Amino acid sequence: MCRVHATVRGLLGEIVAGAEDVAVVDMEAGLEHLSRGTVRHVDTVLAVLEPYYRSLETGARVVELARELGIGRVLVVVNKVRDDADRHALDEFCRNRGLPLAAVIPHDPCVLEADRKGGSLLDHAPEAPSVGAIRELAEQLVGGSGGRAPVA
Amino acid sequence: MKIAVAGKGGSGKTTLAATLGRLLARKGRPVLAVDGDSNPNLGVCLGLPAAEAASWPTLPRDLLAESTLPDGTRTTRLSMPTAEIAARFGVAAPDGVRLLVMGRVAHAGAG
Repeated sequence: MCRVHATVRGLLGEIVAGAEDVAVVDMEAGLEHLSRGTVRHVDTVLAVLEPYYRSLETGARVVELARELGIGRVLVVVNKVRDDADRHALDEFCRNRGLPLAAVIPHDPCVLEADRKGGSLLDHAPEAPSVGAIRELAEQLVGGSGGRAPVA
Repeated sequence: MKIAVAGKGGSGKTTLAATLGRLLARKGRPVLAVDGDSNPNLGVCLGLPAAEAASWPTLPRDLLAESTLPDGTRTTRLSMPTAEIAARFGVAAPDGVRLLVMGRVAHAGAG
């Protein structure tokens, strides 16, 4: 691991540790970044997946890794779900692999539109189906369903 | 609550992190949004103008101080509290979210 990156990850970990209330970290893409240095002060990992086999397989590894690192709450969020067939397949995958499915976010053209406009989804389409699903996830996280997060 | 949003590029993790952060902030929780991605987009997804991204503060490299404990263990700690880092180097985003962009440290170091 590059020294500069090691510094960034150590710094990220310490900043998260010192955050007073909620910290939401958009992690660097890729599994290799889910290391102890970065996430040791995190109490919740959301593994964001897409409803196709390779992505779900990756998600299974993220969940495994996060559990190995001792993260209290490891949840799966499946994004861009198009139809019942997608839903059925991901339900079955999560059930078979013991993955805690916390949210299913529907495929939503509003996401691409917001991206194209270079703005936030929430401002572009506050009533979008995808926003609704994320709102439910927020309720779930705050409500503590899926296991209360341990005190850091 | 300290949440890490992980996933492959293109999975929508940044949109999720941004939207979730703002929705939690609307519930009255102070939210620190941290962009740990080397391709920083969280600010734009939070609703900040992309054109201003270049003017966002850069995290200094000396925020993490290394020291050696009496028993010889090497340790690192922040040279100032997270709240001060967020105040000095963070960017105010909609709904009261405070954004910190980590990637800029790497750029400073690699440049």
